[in-house]
Parts: sequence; C-alpha cells; structure tokens
Amino acid sequence: MSAKTGNAADPVLLALTQNRLDHISQQMGHVMVRTARSPIFSQAHDFTCFIAGPDGRVTAQADGIPIHSGGGGFAARAILRDFADDIADGDVFLLNDPWAAGGNHLPDWVIARPVFVGGRLVSLVCNRAHQSDIGGGAAGTYNPEATEVWQEGVRLPVLKLVEAGKVRRDLWKLLLLNTRTPDLLEGDLGAMLGSTKIGGEQVASLVEELGVEEALGYFDGILSHAAGRMGAALAELPDGVYEGEERSDNDCFELRDIWVRAKVTIAGGRATVDFTGTDPQIRGFKNSTLANTHSAVYTAFASFFDPAIPRNEGTFSVIDIVAPEGSLVNAREGAPTTMDTVFVAHEIIHAVWKALNQAAPERAAAGWAKNIFGVTSGHGGEGRPYVFYHGLAAAGAGAVEGRDGFNQIGHLCTLGGLTISNAETYERLYPVHFRRQELRNDGGGAGRWRGGTGAHYDVEIKTPALYSFRGEGLRYETGFGIKGGAYGAAGEMHVQEEGAALELAPKFGLKRMGAGRLTASSPGGGGWGDPKTRPLEAVWRDWRDGLVSTEAARKSYGVAFVGDPDDPGSTFAGSLDAAETARLRAS
Amino acid sequence: MISLKAPWRIGVDVGGTFTDMVVAGADGALHVFKVPSVPSDPAKGVMNAVAKAASDLGLSEAGFLGQCTFFAHGSTVATNTLLERKGARVGMLTTAGFRDSLEIRRGIRPNPWDHRTPYPEVLVPRYLRRPVAGRLDTHGRELTPLDLDQVREIGARFRAEGVEAVAICLMNAFANPAHEIAAAEILAESWGGGWIARSSAVAPIIGEYERGSTTVVSAYVAPRVVGYLQELEAALAAAGLRHKLFMLQSNGGAVSVGQIAERPVNLILSGPAAGVGSMRHLAQVSGHDDLLSMEIGGTSCDVMLMSGGRIAITDELAVADYDLVIPSVDIHTVGAGGGTIAGVDGAGMLFAGPKGAGADPGPACYGLGGSEPTVTDANLVLGRLKPGVYAGGSVTLDLEKARAAVRSRVADPLGLKIEEGAAGIIRLVEQNLLHAVERISIQRGQNPRRFRLVACGGAGPMHGVPVGRRLGCASVYVPRQAGAFCALGMLHSDVRQDFMDVHFQDLDTLAAQPVETRYRALEERARSLLADEGFAEEGMQTERELDLRYDGQQWDLRIPVAPADGAEAIRAAFEREYEQRFGHLVPGGRILITALRVVGKGLLPPLAEARMPRAEGPAVPVERRPVFIDERHGMMETAVYRGGDLLPGHDLPGPLLIEEATTTIFAGPGDRVTVDAAGNYLISFEDREGAA
Repeated sequence: MSAKTGNAADPVLLALTQNRLDHISQQMGHVMVRTARSPIFSQAHDFTCFIAGPDGRVTAQADGIPIHSGGGGFAARAILRDFADDIADGDVFLLNDPWAAGGNHLPDWVIARPVFVGGRLVSLVCNRAHQSDIGGGAAGTYNPEATEVWQEGVRLPVLKLVEAGKVRRDLWKLLLLNTRTPDLLEGDLGAMLGSTKIGGEQVASLVEELGVEEALGYFDGILSHAAGRMGAALAELPDGVYEGEERSDNDCFELRDIWVRAKVTIAGGRATVDFTGTDPQIRGFKNSTLANTHSAVYTAFASFFDPAIPRNEGTFSVIDIVAPEGSLVNAREGAPTTMDTVFVAHEIIHAVWKALNQAAPERAAAGWAKNIFGVTSGHGGEGRPYVFYHGLAAAGAGAVEGRDGFNQIGHLCTLGGLTISNAETYERLYPVHFRRQELRNDGGGAGRWRGGTGAHYDVEIKTPALYSFRGEGLRYETGFGIKGGAYGAAGEMHVQEEGAALELAPKFGLKRMGAGRLTASSPGGGGWGDPKTRPLEAVWRDWRDGLVSTEAARKSYGVAFVGDPDDPGSTFAGSLDAAETARLRAS
Repeated sequence: MISLKAPWRIGVDVGGTFTDMVVAGADGALHVFKVPSVPSDPAKGVMNAVAKAASDLGLSEAGFLGQCTFFAHGSTVATNTLLERKGARVGMLTTAGFRDSLEIRRGIRPNPWDHRTPYPEVLVPRYLRRPVAGRLDTHGRELTPLDLDQVREIGARFRAEGVEAVAICLMNAFANPAHEIAAAEILAESWGGGWIARSSAVAPIIGEYERGSTTVVSAYVAPRVVGYLQELEAALAAAGLRHKLFMLQSNGGAVSVGQIAERPVNLILSGPAAGVGSMRHLAQVSGHDDLLSMEIGGTSCDVMLMSGGRIAITDELAVADYDLVIPSVDIHTVGAGGGTIAGVDGAGMLFAGPKGAGADPGPACYGLGGSEPTVTDANLVLGRLKPGVYAGGSVTLDLEKARAAVRSRVADPLGLKIEEGAAGIIRLVEQNLLHAVERISIQRGQNPRRFRLVACGGAGPMHGVPVGRRLGCASVYVPRQAGAFCALGMLHSDVRQDFMDVHFQDLDTLAAQPVETRYRALEERARSLLADEGFAEEGMQTERELDLRYDGQQWDLRIPVAPADGAEAIRAAFEREYEQRFGHLVPGGRILITALRVVGKGLLPPLAEARMPRAEGPAVPVERRPVFIDERHGMMETAVYRGGDLLPGHDLPGPLLIEEATTTIFAGPGDRVTVDAAGNYLISFEDREGAA
C-alpha cells in the first residue's frame, strides 16, 4: 500500500473508486441536462453535481461550473449540523440560504440525498442548481435594486423535502407559491431529485461492493491524494507572502471604488488566503457569501495550476481562508448577494491571481476584462415577454504564456464555460436586429502575448423595453497586464432611444426606453510580458488584420510599419521599417 | 485458392496503419485483405489492396475490378487535411459588421478549466475575411441589397492574394440563398478560381458561427480531397473498374465522387461512420436490432447505439476543435485502446489514458523504443496475448519488455506484483470503456441491459465480454470480421444525401399552412441527385423528418413523419420521443417546427446471406496456457482456439481465447461462446438471469 493515499488499502481499487465516483457525478449531470425543464441547465450548464462523504467533505465533483468549486461542503455540513440524528434512508434535503444553510446565493438551490448502506450514512449525493425564479423583487432571480436579501427571493433553511421516501406536499406547495414560474421550478426540482436518485443508487452499489469500512477508507484516500497533488503544486512555489487587490467600481447605487484585498501566504505546501483589509460590505447585490468566496478562491487556485489536479475538497484542504465578517467577501446575514457568483467572484479571482502571479511568474495569468453587459426585457411578438442578454458584447480574456487572450469569452467565474449566442439565433428569438459584432482595434492589452481584443457591438431593440445595467468595466480598464504587459482597453456603452441622440449608458440600475439601440465596445483582456519582445511577425499579423493600429504598433510594440495594412498583397518584409523598428525597440 | 462468386462488392477503409479491404461475393461469402497504409499516398494503399486481393483470389486486377458492381471507400483524407493543416488558402466573404464570427468561435472551449491551451489557428485570417454590404432579415427578406461592386472588388483582392478556395457565409442565408448565389456568380468571374463553398448549400442551418465554420472547412479541404478522389477514381477506372467510386460520408451513407465535390466536409467521419452499415448488417443476420457497438483500435474506442434498427444522427461535431454542423452518425469517442498508456501520478494514483503510444513507438512490447506500459503490454503480461508474431506479422511482441514497463511504471510505484499491476491497468481501462457505453445510453434515456454489445475493432473483442457482463447487457456479439468492421460496413451502405430547410412554424397551424410544397422541393432535389447516381425510381427512397421543439427551448428533436401525418399524429410522435429522452412532457405545450428535412436514399439490394458449413465435430483447442481471468479467479488454465477451426454450431464454455486473423476474443468462466449461422460469435452469460 502507498503511504501517500491514507486509508486506501488497494491502490487499484482506489483508482477505480475515484474514477467511478467522478463518472457517477458526470452521469448525474447528464440526467440533469436530460430531464430539467429550464434552458438554464442545457444551455448555460448552471448547476453542479457532487458527492460528499459522511462528514460532508466533497469527494467528487467532476461536472459543474467553476464558481461552484468545493462550495458544496458548506451545504453538506449544514445538513449534518441541523439534522444530526434525524437523517434516515429515504430522506432528501433542500436548502439555499447562505447564512442558515451553507448556500452560495439564493437562486442556487441544493438537493441532497443521504445514502445509507448497512444502516450507516456513507454519503450525501447532491445537486446545486440555479432556479428560474424564486420570488423576490424582480423576475428571473436578479434584482439590481435589492438592498436586502428579502428582496431577492425566498430563503430556505435546511428542509427535509422528502421524508422516508415521501415528498412533503405542504412544503412542495409552499415552494411553488413562491416562484413566478411554478412549472419550471417543479420540473427542475424533479430533475434534481431524479439525478440524485440515480447517483445515490450508484454510490450505494459501489459502497456495497467495496464494503462500508473499505469504501470510506477509499473516500479518504481520494481526498488525501488530491491534497497531495495540490500540496505538491504549492510546495513548488517559494514560501512567502504575496498580495493582490482588485476593485469593483460601483455599489449598484453610486460610483465608488470597493476593494477586495487578498494576502496569500505560501508555506510548506499550504496556502492561507487572508482577506483582512477588504472593504466593508455594500448596499447593492454584489456582496459575497462565505461559500461563494471559498468557491472563487478555489477557482483561482485550480485554474492557476495543472487542470489535471482533481477538484474535490481534499484539493482545497491545503488552502485556508480568512474572510472577515461584514466585509465584501463575507457579508452579514440579511445583505443582498445574488450577483456574487459573477461580481465579487471576478474581483476575488483577480486578487488571488495577482498574488499567485508573483509566486509563480511562469504561470502568471493576465486579467480577464469584466463583462459590461446587462439585460433587456420587454414584450415581443404576440405580446409575449422576453429577456435578452447582451452576451454578444462579451469582453476579452487575459493572456498567458503561450497564447494571446481569447478575444471574446464568457464570465471569468465560468472560465468561459458560458458561451456566446449566434446573432442569427437571437434575431429569430427576439425583436432585435444586430448591426455589428466585430473585434476591436487596439482593444487588447499589449504584451509579448496580447490580451483579447473585446468587440464592437451594435444592436437595435424594436420594442419599448426595460434595460438593466449590472456589468462592470466601463469606468476603468479591468483586464490587467502582467510581467510588463499592458491593461486592455476599458469598455464603453451607449444607448439611443428612437428619434433621440446617442447617450452614455448608465453604469448601474434600470432604464426604461422606447424602441432604441444599444452600442458598446467591450473591454479588452490584459497582455503578458513586455510588448517589445512580441515577435515582429505576430505584431505584423495583428496590424495587417486591423487589430493593432499603426500608431499602437509603434508606441506599444516598438514596431514601425509603412503603408496601408489593408493593401492587397501586403507582405511582412514590404511593410516593416526595419531600421526604425530597431531604433524603437532599442530605446 | 479462394473462390469468389460474381458479381461482387468491395469496401476499402484506409486507416492510419492498415488499409482494410472486405470483398463480398454474390453468395454473401466475405473475404478480408489487409495491407499497410501508405500515408504519403493513400491511393497507393488502395491500389496495393486491390493488387493483393486480386492476387490472393487468383484474378487479374482488371478481372477483379471488372466484376465489381459497387466499390465503396472510406478515407481519412479530409480529416488529415484538417488535422495536419494542409488545406487550401481560403478567402471568406462575410456580411459587413460580422467579419469575425469565425474567429470569435462563440467563446466555445471544450474544457473551461484548461484555459492555457490556445484555440487552433483560425483557418481564414482576418485580412482574408472580407465584409460586404447587404443584409437579409431572419425571414430572408432583403433589408439592404447586396453591394455587387464590392463583391467584384473582393474577388479581385482574392486573386491578388492567391486565394485557392472561397467560402461565402452571409447573415441569415439559411433563410434565403439569393445573396450568396449572386455573390458566388460574381466571384466566379472576378476571382476566377474553381472552389467556391456557399453556406446555404453546404450547411443551411441557423447560426452564423457554425454555418460559417463548416463552410470554411469545406472550402479548406476541397482542392486536396476532391483532387485525391478524382485521381483514385481515374486509377481504378484505368485498372478496370466499370462503375463509379463511392465514398462513405459522415452520415453513414455513400455518395459518388462527383457529388461530394460540392460538400467535401461531409467526408470528415468517412471511416468510422461506415460502422453503421456493419450494425445494420449484424442486425439483419442476427435478428437483433438493439445494439451497442464498441469499436476499439490502437488509441481510441468509438461507441454507437442502434435502437430498434435506428442509429441516431447528430448535427454537431468538432474535429481538431473546429466546429462543424453536418449530418453525422452519433459516435462517442474515448481515449481507450490497445496503445493507451498507464502510469502512476505524482501523488500515487494509478491512471490509464487518455494519452496513447500511437503506432510509433507503440506499446513497450513492440520493442520500438516505447517504455511506458500500455493496455497491450498488460494483456501480454496476463497471458491474454501471446508473445511473438502479432497483427499478421507486422510486429513481434516481447514479453520481457512488457513486464519491465509494467513493473517500473506501475507495479513498483504502487507496491504491487507485476501481474497485479497489469490487472489493475486492465480493470481501469475496462471501467473507462464501461463508462463510455453507459454514457451514450443514459444520455438517450436507454437502459444498456436491453442491448446486445457488439465488440469490434482489433482490440474490442479482448475487452467486450467483461465490459458487457458488467454493464448487464443481454449478450455480446463479435463479428468474425471484427478487425475490419468499417470496411465491412461499406458493403452495406446505401447511397444517402441529406437536405434541410430552416422553417419556423407553430405545429398546430400545419393544416392551415401545409408544408407539402417545401417538402416536395427537397424531395425533388434528392431524387434528381439519386437519378444522377444511376438509381431508378424503384431504387429510391425518401424519408421526411421534422425538427421540433417546445417553444422557448433551444434544442430540437428530429422526428420521422409521413406525408399524411397531421399535427396531432406528429405531436404524439414528438411527445413519445421527448418523454423517452427527457423523462417528462409539457402537456399541451406549444410545439414549434424549426426545420424540414429529407433523407434521400439509393437502396443497394441486400447481399445474400453467407452460408458457412456447420460444425461436424467438436472444436479442438490449439493449446492451453495460463491466463489471468480476473481478481476473483486469478490465473486459470485456458483453452486457446484458432478462429478458422470454429464453425456454426460450435458451443464452447469459457474461459477461452479465440485467435482470429485480426483480433483475439477473450471469454471468462461462466461465459458461453456459440458460433451462429452467419459464422459470428455470440457470447452469453450463463449465470445471468433472463440471458438472451
């Protein structure tokens, strides 16, 4: 037996058990996609299936969105705390509240099914999923005007939704009364119950096959192995204290800077992330819950190192987090928090990356620009309501060594897992007409590796509509550069009501307009490394492609070009002013 | 001397290592020939296979090809052109304002966690993607006319830039091809080159990114692929072939070289998709049409599902991370094959895959310099493979090298005996195979217990029985030509062309606004192409399908419909399928039609069923040797049979090994192997209740 993997007696069975648990969590995901009603799950994959051990530690989470990483343990442990002696075979639990029940934000509901073998609790098989509507002050779970949690939706402590195999009808009706979309909620809860049922059966049969004691030994072995992998990655970093900070540029009611500050201490293969010094919680709904802060930190670490390292709670057991209560990263009970999975998550990931970048410059990641876009809702053909995301205005990602930033990519908290729609699809579904979605000139942060460019975006909305603004990145550049790389450009956004002039879009809040238009230049990602070391051919390609202007090539990259980049037959040798370039690059 | 009854059919599958040929005589008798592929000149590999088969059959090449009535070919030439980036210099015409959708890629990345891997290089650089003014709305109505002068200028620019193929993808062209057609006509003049791919012809789907990406890939591979095929067809004709050369497409059907030229991207899964023909053939000879196939080669395993005789077709696939939307057989591929590499990671965890050793150096036991243990090495250590000559003499297996690799990379680091380490590798890889099959069935809402598992490919029959048993499958089936599964399938592949028309309509308005005229137009196109392929009316079959969804959802189900079906019958069929797939319904929910589809088939007459002589005496093993069975049974003395000695009627208890020319079949204690009338192996589980 291997000393490295704890109580696992047989290394082959250890590998088979880990592989099987990962597969079971993925299979639960397939069942969820296959049976859920709301398009959130099949389109945006906004859910996570995970398997916790009898102590509530997450053992397997092979499928799910990054911003749910490792956060499921908070929910599992809340169940064990609240129902310690009152958990029986056939029960199923439901929860969402961040303070009472280990939730990450109200729209994400957790269904947890205890698994018993031989009369012993061996596992909690869980599914955390974003619901279509949970009441509160705005349809669709995001209320940009909320100043307290009660305006965001219904709060659920740990509830026994199913008791001894029977759904509690009273509770079920209560839940359906507290949503604007009872059909979707009912269907989605059914899918969550179904996916945990199949997962639970398969975990039970795995544990039976192995024997309870042995299985629990292997569960421990899986966590120890993951801790060993992440520990080894951390041990390669020089011990030390590294600091990073990032700001949000508004509190949803006024423009002001709100800082997340992370002090990362690396010592002996462990890390401590201390948020002391982070600004106090704010009025608006961009406050983070403790579970969400943990998930954001884990996302930052997991995305920084080898993606082959497993992502269970063993992985994260070598990372300690200090999050002062009442701060932006651990808001007090009652604060609005719904936006936290996007913003503050983005700021937390950036702050932690900035710290880690100093510890391991060769793995350094430049900043992903924040998404500026919001939502437009109104009534379309036949008076039917629509909600339209301006996702085609997505921002650019930061560069890393070996690749330029992705030019347009989904939110950082999904690591781009949330994809961008086709304009044609949206023109078919909504009363909109797109004029433009094209890469930005000089948008990407200059660097040895260039940041993603962002895009020019222009859309007509043909009906009167309500515009909700909740993005970031319009006041400042948000895609930070690293190792001498530059920031990507800041975003810009305008709106225009039919017959009126183009005006600057608000940076938060709501605006009602008649038929009109929204234009934007989405922000660019950060560059990596000194732009003057970018190979000349790469600068020439960007220049020729219209992504870098003649002036920027000269100023940022120290490369002089002559002629019009758009001339047919333009060649590298014919466009480069070699002498001037040598002079510029030498200075 | 083998005797072959005329006329015959020939199927040739060019793989990375071997070119497989299967010949079926008029009596249904099958003959397999294998020659090394010639990657630098794949046509040479095909002609070598022709020469080898002719010589083994005692025929001249002209005699062999002259009596062939159907010559079908599967080729990786399109795939390799894309993988190796050896395609044409492509220029792309886009709508003004939407020049970059090809490069933005909708932000899709297969594994979000791996954000350090760059996208593959964009196939058309930005300066060769040229925007033109002109705009259609979502219903195909013109908002701004196409700027013809601009198109002309762009054509001149393409000529100046040395563009070799052009892709045209204009906004909303799925709804109205007029702007694209007009642009193509002008470009043909002002650019002057020969290869124009137009999105409304290649893939008339909604979604500018996927339609454009598919069109660009089609343009990118066109000159090389079509050039290769035309040369091969000419060479075969010169050697005596009197019929057209047919190619296997990703949709599992065949098409002539002449007709593939408009959409060569449809060859992207040319080889593996031929498995459909084999599945259909096996369903016919075995009378069992609920089949799961697991085809395992050197690096990967392809899984397919046939339910009630139907194989699912999907539209979405990615090849080398390039997104394509073309009708394709739904194949789930995992990195688990004979060459899959095992090892122990830095924190003591055993792994197997997804990396493979490829053909060179290959498994450690090949002695070509590989030092990492693979699945083949583990099978050799466990006695399931025999040291010495292997794979028809192309390699020699060295047991000591296999043992050394397993010991140093797996057994020692884990503190295990060599055999335990090897058994661990096999168990982990078989678990991955099991997961692959579970995945494709559970995603469709199907229970694998209902299915018969077809184990094929060179390495499939070694692992099929343990995997089938663990899955709870009814039985496992191994075709005698398991190692030439795809070439076999080509002999049974009807000619097929798919057509679609994006059309949004509420299903309940079908009676008031019938779609008959639109369907007839699609059928007319199908029939005219089939007539050009040489099919008479009675040899043609057209099938109608509808893409349907509940309003508000963004994915469709494809439902077969008959011309007489009204909205109610269609709703019932949709609901049946929906419930099967998704486990629930929306009673009375509004259903939207999103596309009309027509599948045009040119039907090949079914081949005669081969008759093998029945066994007259008991089968005699050629040897018995100790073989590792599983963790419960350990090593057991195991009978080894030669495939050629086994005939219909033979009925053998496991444990046993059967050595066929291109594969080895393994069965354990409690498994029973019978040879059926078609000469294939059926393995049933004696200890399973209700075994079938």
